[in-house]
Amino acid sequence: MIRKPLLAACLIGALALTTACSDSDSGGGESTLTYLTFETPSLTSTFWNDSIASAQQQAPGVKINRITSPNTDRDAYAKQLQASGQFPDLLQSITPANFVGAGLLQPYDQTWVNANFLLPEGNALKGKVYIPPTNSQVIPQVFYNKELFTKAGVQPPKTWAEFLTVCDKLKAAGINPIELGGGDPFAAGMPLVGIISADVLGKNPNWLQERYAGKVKFTDDNVVTAVNKYRTLVGNGYFDKGALGVKYADSITRFTGGKSAMYPMGSWFLGSVPKETADNFGVFPWPTDDGSLVIPFTVGGSMAISAKSRDIPGATKFAQAWSLDPKNLKALIEGDGAFPMLKDKTLDDYGVTVTQVFEDSYKYVTDQNTKVSSISWATNDDALPPGVNNDFYAASQALFTSSDVKGELAKLDKAWDTATK
Amino acid sequence: MTRTSRAPRRGGVRRENRGLFAIAAVAFGLYVCFLVLPLLLSLRSSFTNENPLRATSSFVGLDNYREAVGDTQLRASLVFTLILAVGVTVAANAVGVLFAMMLNRTTLSYRVMRTVAFLPQVLSGVIVGFVWQTILTQDGLLNHVLQRLGLIDEPFAWLGSPNAALFSIGVVVAWILTGFTTVVYLAALQNIPLELHDMAALDGVNRRQRFTRVIWPMIAPGTTISVTISLITVLKLYDVIAVLTGGGPANSTQSTALYIVQLAFTSDRFGYASSVAMVLLLLSAVIALSVTNVLRRREVNL
Repeated sequence: MIRKPLLAACLIGALALTTACSDSDSGGGESTLTYLTFETPSLTSTFWNDSIASAQQQAPGVKINRITSPNTDRDAYAKQLQASGQFPDLLQSITPANFVGAGLLQPYDQTWVNANFLLPEGNALKGKVYIPPTNSQVIPQVFYNKELFTKAGVQPPKTWAEFLTVCDKLKAAGINPIELGGGDPFAAGMPLVGIISADVLGKNPNWLQERYAGKVKFTDDNVVTAVNKYRTLVGNGYFDKGALGVKYADSITRFTGGKSAMYPMGSWFLGSVPKETADNFGVFPWPTDDGSLVIPFTVGGSMAISAKSRDIPGATKFAQAWSLDPKNLKALIEGDGAFPMLKDKTLDDYGVTVTQVFEDSYKYVTDQNTKVSSISWATNDDALPPGVNNDFYAASQALFTSSDVKGELAKLDKAWDTATK
Repeated sequence: MTRTSRAPRRGGVRRENRGLFAIAAVAFGLYVCFLVLPLLLSLRSSFTNENPLRATSSFVGLDNYREAVGDTQLRASLVFTLILAVGVTVAANAVGVLFAMMLNRTTLSYRVMRTVAFLPQVLSGVIVGFVWQTILTQDGLLNHVLQRLGLIDEPFAWLGSPNAALFSIGVVVAWILTGFTTVVYLAALQNIPLELHDMAALDGVNRRQRFTRVIWPMIAPGTTISVTISLITVLKLYDVIAVLTGGGPANSTQSTALYIVQLAFTSDRFGYASSVAMVLLLLSAVIALSVTNVLRRREVNL
């Protein structure tokens, strides 16, 4: 009776060993690399498989074993994989700042980055690039419904005062002025991201670095004044009263369905603009007090390479091929509203079909203007300390019902200090 | 004769014992591997500043536990979890008893209804969360129906304010647990000897008296199991809340389990997350043991 379980255990052990052997490097000079991806309605399984197959042609000998994150929070999943000793060789669109401190990522060759991208240092950390800066986003921009604006007799505002007037007139016309998907913390934070990026970082682009150095705080008067603007929007009833019960996905359909006139959101919303009514939507930057143009900007990118990979040259070859393939960026441009950042290329080079509102939006990226890090979205040295993003978004939700602005900002300072101690 | 007839039986018993020993050894091995060992590793981690993204960690003594004492977010999550645990346990058990009494028949239709009543328990918490999300969201089914019936003028934010979200989560979790409590109480009801019902009928007791004097005391063992498991289930609740509210708005529906995951995988604080996990484990153990103790004593007294 004892022998049978022992035999079974031996068999299981042998099977496990066989499996482990088959997962490891195969012979013949080929390497099998794990690649962490994530799926969205635009970035489907087919997209990833096709893009991998295409890049593999330029990186012969590299086999890819694709891992899909269970949700879009690939940073959290990458941490779980790291904790269980399964950190992938390649990681798509993660936040490098979370992993560089542990020496987990391999920087790209700067010469290659400089040769191929418009903003080579766009997402650099202490001068090193861990994700090719292939694309960028403006977070947030204010999208608006032209028909509802016409109905209320208003024009896109430039200053904060004009913005409040527009909200007032829309409300008076029986139209919900601003859509907010407050049920999802990141979406609830959009107005606050706009306000702080425009008002605080717009006047002091080094504010986040100074916060790291302890020279400024969230409870400083200028930040409190800026955040009070959000309370003004809430207090004046410019959001749906039940906005914290609206999920992000629902907020998109509510806005595109004409339930609200304006929608502060990251430029990835451009991928959700319905093609048949695209001309009904316009875009303007988050308004500032004096009407000066401040663009909350973040440079994203493709994949990071694990410094622990058994085949860093192979991983690099694959990553570079994937990052420079216009076909991959086509899907990101059309489906995810990503603004391409490859050198010497126009939109036509990607073979994309984009809407007018996309082109209007993209102009804010290509034009010369004041670009600042989008707070809580930046992936460069201005990225918030680990975990503070969550506190930032929670504060945004709390301030929807609480008028204790200084109290909520004090919590943020405390969270920051805990995360960086 | 006696000797020869005993000898093979002893051998059989020995062989049988060996078989049982092997099975027990496997079970014990699994228990040690997947429960005791992780628990000890977590306990060790709770005295360190372990961070998954740092190569090394150091011993910090009781610092994590000291921090936990003053952690307002932890306190809020514990209060939320305890309120939810008590509310859901009471609701799920009350409804479970009611359903069990209604379904305590042997005809086919009742047997089908029993299966239906158990369905929520079979479904994954994530699926249940997504289904209820479509019902409870601002433009969801519930608001649509209530507006159609003229009961509300504008959509109610079932998940959009701390109190409403607590209530909504409570309803969903109670709905899931009711499947389990119904089955437990059904089994307990079917263990009541028919003679007791007959005697009660002869004594001329009414329905209420039959429940309070016969049924309620006789289902006491079922109550002990049902209440204890309901409490433990809610104390470690994660999946339904993660889907329904993600702990929001503003962390107001963040269960302690959710907080632990956030600390570990968002804030990268494995050490501190482990200490909070130890606190939750201790709290759950104390509550479960106390409740079991009280309910067992009640069983004896009845």
